[in-house]
Amino acid sequence: MFRLQGSKTLAVDLTGDAVKAKNGSMVAYDGQMAFKKMSGGGEGLRGMVTRRLTGEQMVMMEVKGQGTCYFADRASEINLVSLHGETLYVEASNLLATDAGLRTGTSFTGLRGGASGNGLFTTTVEGTGQAAIMSDGSAVVLRVTPQYPLNVDPGAYIAHQGRLQQHFQSGVNFRTIMGEGSGESFQIRFEGDGLVYVQPSERNTVGGDV
Amino acid sequence: MPFREINSKMVEAVVGPGQKMYSQRGAMLAYRGDVSFTPNIQGGQGGLGSMIGRRVAGEATPLMTVEGSGTVMFGHGGHHIQVIDLSGDTLCVEADRLLAFDGTLQQGTLFMGSQGGVMGMVRGQVTGQGLFTTTLKGHGSVAVMAHGGVIELPITPGRPVHVDPQAYVAHHGDVTNKLSTALGWRDMVGRGSGEAFQLELSGSGAVYVQASEEKL
Repeated sequence: MFRLQGSKTLAVDLTGDAVKAKNGSMVAYDGQMAFKKMSGGGEGLRGMVTRRLTGEQMVMMEVKGQGTCYFADRASEINLVSLHGETLYVEASNLLATDAGLRTGTSFTGLRGGASGNGLFTTTVEGTGQAAIMSDGSAVVLRVTPQYPLNVDPGAYIAHQGRLQQHFQSGVNFRTIMGEGSGESFQIRFEGDGLVYVQPSERNTVGGDV
Repeated sequence: MPFREINSKMVEAVVGPGQKMYSQRGAMLAYRGDVSFTPNIQGGQGGLGSMIGRRVAGEATPLMTVEGSGTVMFGHGGHHIQVIDLSGDTLCVEADRLLAFDGTLQQGTLFMGSQGGVMGMVRGQVTGQGLFTTTLKGHGSVAVMAHGGVIELPITPGRPVHVDPQAYVAHHGDVTNKLSTALGWRDMVGRGSGEAFQLELSGSGAVYVQASEEKL
């Protein structure tokens, strides 16, 4: 149902069903479509309150109709993710669209959020269906297995899925304090079994400055 | 002379003796051979009358004439470039999105307000494109700039295409466009989906849409 038209435009074929997409991200459609803003990201009243409290803002709209709808946002590269009952953790600003059948929620990320400049909470997408996530430049998908843990720059991390534990680790030492840091003083370490999506670009983060 | 795409952000054109082409002023990146660039005060073809027309319509972009023999590379601002080949039909495009075009094409200005009456007037205001647009007609190639990649969507009779005004780049063929609104009470109370205005393009032809909602 989700397909890519080029690498920066997402085409969704709808036959009377619905998708959730980032507010205002429609660029074109043919056929009949109706757009409706979902208050609080479509998680009901409780989800809305949680979002307000956690600052993990996500403004989504529901698109329903017959035909093909095209989505794009600020020329970001788009990656399709298929979910089969597992959970995808993604920053709200990197989520473009999901199947209407997928549930979205908010989860606590701990210290990582602080360093990656995304706040202490992240968005979860779970269920069975497809989701489209955005990255600045084409993202690489890195597999993590119990033998091979992965360390990621907080600014380049966009999403992960699977059974992964994440730790925040810092390499702050004498040199960093003297202002001779390498700019790589903080990393997120992923252990377990799953996939991590990394973009070839770094957001401005607190961690990147030291 | 068709444009050759070097990469997604650069095109190369071959200029021969007696051939002319127009490009946005300052868009030349490199050239080989003996090529001259002359600023074109008139902003394109058609003499003084057309020049005044374009000034009045606000569709006057600084253009230059490229003549001589050699190859010229064009690019501007790191924007993606889409090459559109015309074979007798008319391309409608905003003047500031034009990177370069063949001298064989006829350039004109079209009053958009004439399509769709009052709504046509509103359309120009809402989309920020103004009431006029530039048309290119004939046989030849055009290089158009867009932010992000461009997708081409066919328009067939009975199957109109709706486009976000900010993502619209250009269209060609026998197409009428009008502004369609989906304003509901939700938009009035500030709970809109951000898709209140759309351009509805119907007829037969194709529309080019960019993967971004940013203007150039």
